[in-house]
Amino acid sequence: MQRIKTILSSAWTALFGDPVRAFGVVSLVLLIALAIAPAKEHFSEWHRYQRQYLKLIHNRGDALSLQRRFQPGIHQIWLPNLGVVDRCTTCHLGLNEAGLADVHQQPFSKHPAIPHSLDGFGCVICHGGQGAATTVSEAHSSERAGEEPILPARYIESGCGQCHQDQLPGTPQLNLGRSMLRRYGCVHCHAITLPDGTKVVATDHPPSLAHIADKTTREWIFSWLKDPQAYSASTTMPDFKLSDTDASDISAYLVSTSTPLPGDNATLDVKSAMSADPSAGPSLYGESFCSSCHAVQNAAGNLVGGDLGPELTRIGNKAKPEWLKAWLQNPRTYDATTPMPHYRFTPQQIAILAGYLQGKSDSDYGANVHLDPGTAVQIAHGRKLIVELGCAACHEINGVQKPENFAPELSSIGSKPLAQILFLPGMEHALSSYIVTKIRQPRAFGTSVKMPQFTLTTAQTDALTTALLALTSRSRSMPDSLRVAEIQETNYQPAGHAGKLMTELACLSCHRINERGGDMAPDLSWEGSAIQQQWLVGFLKNPNTLRPALIRRMPRFNLSDNDNKELTDYILAVYQSPSIDPDFTLPAMNAAETVEHGRQLFYSKYACQACHIVDAKTDKGYIGPTLTQVGSRLTAAWVYAWLRNPQALRPGTIEPNQNLSDDDARALTAFLMSLKGPGRRGTKQ
Amino acid sequence: MSTPKDFAAGIDSDQRRSPTRVVFVTRRTSAQVKVSREDQVQTFPEVLFRAALAIELLAILLVVFSLFFNAPLEGIADPTHTPNPAKAPWYFLGLQELLHYFPPVVAGVLVPTLLIVSLIVIPYFNINIEASGMFLKDRARRKQIFYIATAGMLIFLLLFHVYVAVAPTVIVALGMVVAAHSTPESPSQLRRYLASKPLSYWIMTWFLLELIVLTAVGTFFRGPGWSWVWPWRS
Amino acid sequence: MNAEQTIEKVRGSRIWRSVFRSGTGNSTLHRALAIQQNIFLHLFATKVRKRMVRFSATWYLGTLTLGTFLILVITGILLMLYYHPSVPQAYADMKDLQFVVSSGLFLRNLHRWSAQLMVFLVFAHMFKVFYRGAYRTPREFNWVVGIVLLLITLLLSYTGYLLPWDQLAFWAITVGSNLSSAVPLVGNKIHFLLLGGNQVNANALLRFYVLHCVVLPIMAVLFIAVHFWRIRKDGGLYVQQSEPKAQAPSDSIEPAQEVK
Repeated sequence: MQRIKTILSSAWTALFGDPVRAFGVVSLVLLIALAIAPAKEHFSEWHRYQRQYLKLIHNRGDALSLQRRFQPGIHQIWLPNLGVVDRCTTCHLGLNEAGLADVHQQPFSKHPAIPHSLDGFGCVICHGGQGAATTVSEAHSSERAGEEPILPARYIESGCGQCHQDQLPGTPQLNLGRSMLRRYGCVHCHAITLPDGTKVVATDHPPSLAHIADKTTREWIFSWLKDPQAYSASTTMPDFKLSDTDASDISAYLVSTSTPLPGDNATLDVKSAMSADPSAGPSLYGESFCSSCHAVQNAAGNLVGGDLGPELTRIGNKAKPEWLKAWLQNPRTYDATTPMPHYRFTPQQIAILAGYLQGKSDSDYGANVHLDPGTAVQIAHGRKLIVELGCAACHEINGVQKPENFAPELSSIGSKPLAQILFLPGMEHALSSYIVTKIRQPRAFGTSVKMPQFTLTTAQTDALTTALLALTSRSRSMPDSLRVAEIQETNYQPAGHAGKLMTELACLSCHRINERGGDMAPDLSWEGSAIQQQWLVGFLKNPNTLRPALIRRMPRFNLSDNDNKELTDYILAVYQSPSIDPDFTLPAMNAAETVEHGRQLFYSKYACQACHIVDAKTDKGYIGPTLTQVGSRLTAAWVYAWLRNPQALRPGTIEPNQNLSDDDARALTAFLMSLKGPGRRGTKQ
Repeated sequence: MSTPKDFAAGIDSDQRRSPTRVVFVTRRTSAQVKVSREDQVQTFPEVLFRAALAIELLAILLVVFSLFFNAPLEGIADPTHTPNPAKAPWYFLGLQELLHYFPPVVAGVLVPTLLIVSLIVIPYFNINIEASGMFLKDRARRKQIFYIATAGMLIFLLLFHVYVAVAPTVIVALGMVVAAHSTPESPSQLRRYLASKPLSYWIMTWFLLELIVLTAVGTFFRGPGWSWVWPWRS
Repeated sequence: MNAEQTIEKVRGSRIWRSVFRSGTGNSTLHRALAIQQNIFLHLFATKVRKRMVRFSATWYLGTLTLGTFLILVITGILLMLYYHPSVPQAYADMKDLQFVVSSGLFLRNLHRWSAQLMVFLVFAHMFKVFYRGAYRTPREFNWVVGIVLLLITLLLSYTGYLLPWDQLAFWAITVGSNLSSAVPLVGNKIHFLLLGGNQVNANALLRFYVLHCVVLPIMAVLFIAVHFWRIRKDGGLYVQQSEPKAQAPSDSIEPAQEVK
């Protein structure tokens, strides 16, 4: 014990005996301490990963070339114009190594093939994360202001959406999400301004409620408000989780303020027709191709039909008979902007169709709802609720103004700082999970949240989340040269009387003309160059389908001959393509050998019968339009131009561009133009 | 011895320590000039090396600390997103805490200006930290003034809801109460110590305690909206 | 030839003697000259009372404050090599320091923690001096210099706070600078002058950078020099006379030694 003490004290004297000696010793300690910092650097994460990488490639066959390309030290992709300083490649060493395609060990695996070069865009622009960082936790999960954690892979398409406002074939989820933002009316309440300054416009058509009492009963409104899905499984109307009192009061307000429209009480004397053939209803419904737009639930519970108009499974529960008839007579009386065409039904047809539709009802639906007339207090309360819930953001309601900026703007939702988000207990600490939860259970964030409950599948929620995550602040600061704009809807309006006719028939609900209109039916912008007048007249009188595989078809509008001629003339005169020579002729048009040569080209060289039917008995191609009567339908000029370059006439068509020689194209045109079809009604006139 | 001189002269020499000193003391003043002389050391090397040693030890401490604790770095400055609460550097949090109670012109301008001015004038106002105890003279009157001043201060603090500043005030006041009832002959060492402290000591101690308490409250006990939070309940 | 002889030879060489005016030797005179004849050290007294060298006398608070200042100058100069006072590059430089610069984070840590410690030490030093009564005549001006140094330290720390350009910096400076608007009449002018604008922006960053790296350090060095020099001129470190126990044996000049 004494010895130790002696040794210690002598050691103390030896080291710190006098100030100079102590100064030397402490200086040494200080130098050692200072040397720790660079030493610590050597054991940093990225050094470790680079050593691991070297070990990984050491035993591979292509070790030599891999080692030659490996550069020790910190790597970075620096793109000043994009504000990119990405050092991800310091550890992700195999991203560009084609030879490492079989390596699945992160961070060394190869990047999947994408249309962009990694060196041209960096990593963070698509994946998120902090590019400047060289540690895993900082790079992947930093949540500070201006930084974002790595985007979960399932929403990766949102990265594309930052520049691409157009529809990319490779981003189905993003495309779906974007169309849902419009179709589900999200943008009625939440304003979204795209980086190029355009606003996202809703494409749903929430009906005006100004004359709702003409259309339906208060009891139906009550049941509908309580649970929209119970009436129509496919509706985009969300569930506001209203109490009985609230739903009753809102319905009281709506009914009490509804103003009657003069045309809404069609009293048609069609009693005789009502007792007619019971199959007349379904067959008229079928002939009019109502199901192109309207769906009906079948026995199995599946929806059959289009989604452009409302589901009609229980229409009998909803629509008052007089209103339904008036609607069928002319929908524009009730709603001037409806996408529904004005069919020229005869009174008898209206009675048949209305009767048939009235029969589509569910006796259990709303059976127990009996409401006394609303008192003034209830009506006032109903109005208060309507204002609070923002009903008027979507629907036109008498006495309630459409609220401006009713809900938070979402233009930069994809960059919402995590620090500003109140996460629910147990929720993953990520923006994507916040958005998903907010869409799935908006009311979970507190009782004061007004956002209603939408019924969406997981795929739909993910798609919406993807579309919202694409709305980043980075997308706003991108150079304009990188932005790919959305194809903008124009406000094209056909002119004159024919234009009015086209509005009534709602042609643009399905067809697209001059960058405006639906995508359900072919683009008609150059239809005048493409078709022959006689065929069009016949087609409008009695449309049959050109593509057998399609369910949605052109309906029959029962146009008068005058209207038909007017429309046909207008289409032929106005919708002319500048790239098609109207005076095009085939010199050897009638030469049988040219036709025969074309036939051979059709069947042998180009195997067109894989998609098209020329001979209904032998051919089985159902992908493209049937061509049995193409010679009486299309103009030779169009067919020739189409064969030369289909994409030039209709961008995005799946018809392949075969790069035909002029001779082949002429021969094929001659062959196709010879297909006049067996006795078409249109041509017999 | 014949004529009285006007001065007295003295000589002192200790070459080991310092050069020879000659002193003249005029008769008109007291000759009782006391020059304390004590052991001195050479600045070089004794003091310089000690200072260097102290600085090096400090450096070692800071280096080791810096190896293990990273300086804070938040996200990039974003004028559109105000963190809640937005706090000044810690040494200004005492002022920011005052800002919570008083209008900016008081807490942000008046108080700091007064503080600096009063710190500067301390040596010029004959404030003597080594003067005799505050209550040793004129005890009854000083006690009276002290009680009135303390009560006034406490009422002022409570009026403005500055509850956090009450505790240091009360602690200092208690110390002064003890001092007021103690004498330098008290058997308790603490009471002897307190009794010997002058007013300047008490004021500075109060200032120091307030500084510590307000800064600590501002640093650790203030959350969103400058509301009170307990740091251990995150 | 052993080490001591080598050192002696070096110290005796012409070059050494041309640099250090004090010459060689271990005598008291030479040691005094080592201080007196050195432009930096001559600020200090050649001798210090032994009592004041003890830790308990001053807690070495002034020395340690100087230590933090030296560390800050060294690390600060190194940090300046990596720093651009512009928005948003300033923040990117913080990231580069953290992730790319060798020991960059360590440098920044050292600078930051030293700065915090310096503010603390300056306050501690001030209170220690006050409680020792060391501010009194003839040292009152040195106390005022000390207060000026306290303000310079606070300003140095405050201006440095903005330089990382992170949320912490931005809002701390915003909160702090808004106080200046409260000054009656000229508040907004002062605020504008301080920030070079009506809010914390790139101008404020540049202004604070210049203050932090040029103006305030020069002022600090000047006042530190004055502070040290005044210690010597005002009679060395203050010794508390009233401490009965600590009184060293004094040999006062008695009238008895009167020269006849």
